[in-house]
Amino acid sequence: MNVVVGGHRTVLARSTARYIFIGIVSLLVIFPLYWMVVTAIQPPEVTLAYPPVLYPKSPNLLGFSQLFHDNPMGKWLLNSAFVAALTTLITTSFSVLGAYALSWFRWNGKLVFGLMLLFTQMLPEALIIIPIYKIYDQAHLLNNLPALSLIHAAFVIPVGVWILRPAFESIPKEVNEAAQIDGCDYLALLRKIIIPLCSPAILAVGVVAFFASWGDYLVAVTMISRQDLYPASVGLASTMSQLNTPIQELLSGALIYGLPPVILYMFIQRFIISGLTAGAIKG
Amino acid sequence: MQLKKIASPRIPTERTKIGSSKNLPYLLILPICVLSFTLVLYPIVQGIWISLTDKTLGDAIGKKVNFVGFDNYAGLIHNSAFLASVRITMTYAVMNVIFSVGAGLITALLVNKRFRGRGAIRALLTAPWAFPDVASVIIFVWILNSAFGVIGIVNQHLPFDTSGGWLTSSPYAFISIVGISMWKTFPFYSIVLLSALQGVPEDLMEAATVDGAGPIQRFRAVTLPSIKATLYLLGLLAFIFAFRQFSMIYLTTGGGPERDTETLVISVYNTAFKYYDYAVSSAIGVAGLSITFIVALGFLLLQNRVARREHS
Repeated sequence: MNVVVGGHRTVLARSTARYIFIGIVSLLVIFPLYWMVVTAIQPPEVTLAYPPVLYPKSPNLLGFSQLFHDNPMGKWLLNSAFVAALTTLITTSFSVLGAYALSWFRWNGKLVFGLMLLFTQMLPEALIIIPIYKIYDQAHLLNNLPALSLIHAAFVIPVGVWILRPAFESIPKEVNEAAQIDGCDYLALLRKIIIPLCSPAILAVGVVAFFASWGDYLVAVTMISRQDLYPASVGLASTMSQLNTPIQELLSGALIYGLPPVILYMFIQRFIISGLTAGAIKG
Repeated sequence: MQLKKIASPRIPTERTKIGSSKNLPYLLILPICVLSFTLVLYPIVQGIWISLTDKTLGDAIGKKVNFVGFDNYAGLIHNSAFLASVRITMTYAVMNVIFSVGAGLITALLVNKRFRGRGAIRALLTAPWAFPDVASVIIFVWILNSAFGVIGIVNQHLPFDTSGGWLTSSPYAFISIVGISMWKTFPFYSIVLLSALQGVPEDLMEAATVDGAGPIQRFRAVTLPSIKATLYLLGLLAFIFAFRQFSMIYLTTGGGPERDTETLVISVYNTAFKYYDYAVSSAIGVAGLSITFIVALGFLLLQNRVARREHS
């Protein structure tokens, strides 16, 4: 009502105010990322000048070549990719099985199982990382990348089950009937009908698992001490703590390590936004 | 018979080809259970056990570890660093809930109109969420650097003295870690709230407008009730996010200056690896576990309430 009474001028003023607000918020959100790119592509002399210049001057890509020259950065990125891929594989397959059990069967202990998952999901890894370290130490699993991905998977599987369960439940139960008439057993039902129908949700689980593993620092820094086995997160953090790392090199590292998930995310965000609401807990 | 089966097809009555389906669900959850038992439950039991001993990380191999009962816990009650850590954790978590969810809500309300470039803005707003912690840390440590950081431009206009450094003096270190986590989370919350706002009934909104309700009244009477469940969920997410947060605190302030940003998870790590007190670290961990447990229970109650409301 107000709007109509106020006439065009108010409407215009309001939408202008809205645009300004959106502009400010977007700037605040995007500036740190923008600043990373600027610092990564210009020589340190320009970066360290005061007052700082807010746009890139005489851009070059020396930061990247330095980064790969001074550190086994390629190896670190490969390690991250390997651990993340393995985590994704374990998480999706285990979560599919678990969600199938939770959504299509009636069995004793379902409640306890659900509670265990919920508790695991909320549990900060840092609280039990020391006992896990001890177990791994005794089992000679320190400095072992597949063993690292097992820990990642253990903590992200609850999210996977949580994302998949409602998707599996949304499949009409008549499908079960039809499948049984066709002579399908329960595993064939899962393989031939449920998995294909729920592939977007399964993809979402895969992405969440990949992000969680790619982004992990705490578990990796505790379990991996050999430099050639560092994932990128630990490797970059170690170059950050060396005071003599050139700033251009460091920010190039942040860019190259941080960009793949962002790009991947932008492509599929529409796909997985609802799944991520559930997965957000894993952050 | 036929009808009954369609009504409740999830109770398998027929025998299937691969043996009895009675055992199948247990086989299905077996892989998860093996992982969870070895990497979550067993470590918890270990942690509880160690918290009842006097073990330190520097113990020589073969040194006898003594059972000390609840001594470590009794010690915690009088341990001012621990009590401070609980307070810091709670403040950090509550700040995250208020500021991140609050900023998310305000942004969502203002963006909840069709305008040009909305899709692009939404995609852009999700970027920080997908950005890995360590990369975010590098950016912010650089931005907040007291000698060369771009924050210098802002510093000279501030009415207070930040020359001690944004990450190295109090209370700015604490403000910084709240700010960094806000940057990372609030855009995501605003997107989730935006999709919740799409569910606000249009006709109710119009009716309220016709009845002469102002924007604030409309928000309280129409908008708020329909996004309440989402707000609760996000509040909980923000709390858990803050409670679990390790790398973005550890790599920026390390828990300092002094121990002013040492949340419980940082305290567990520092106590074990910096002060080598394995047993006390475990006791702090168990205290943290009980908080997790309480939050999980709270979540279940909340979920039940929401589910019941949806049913009625």
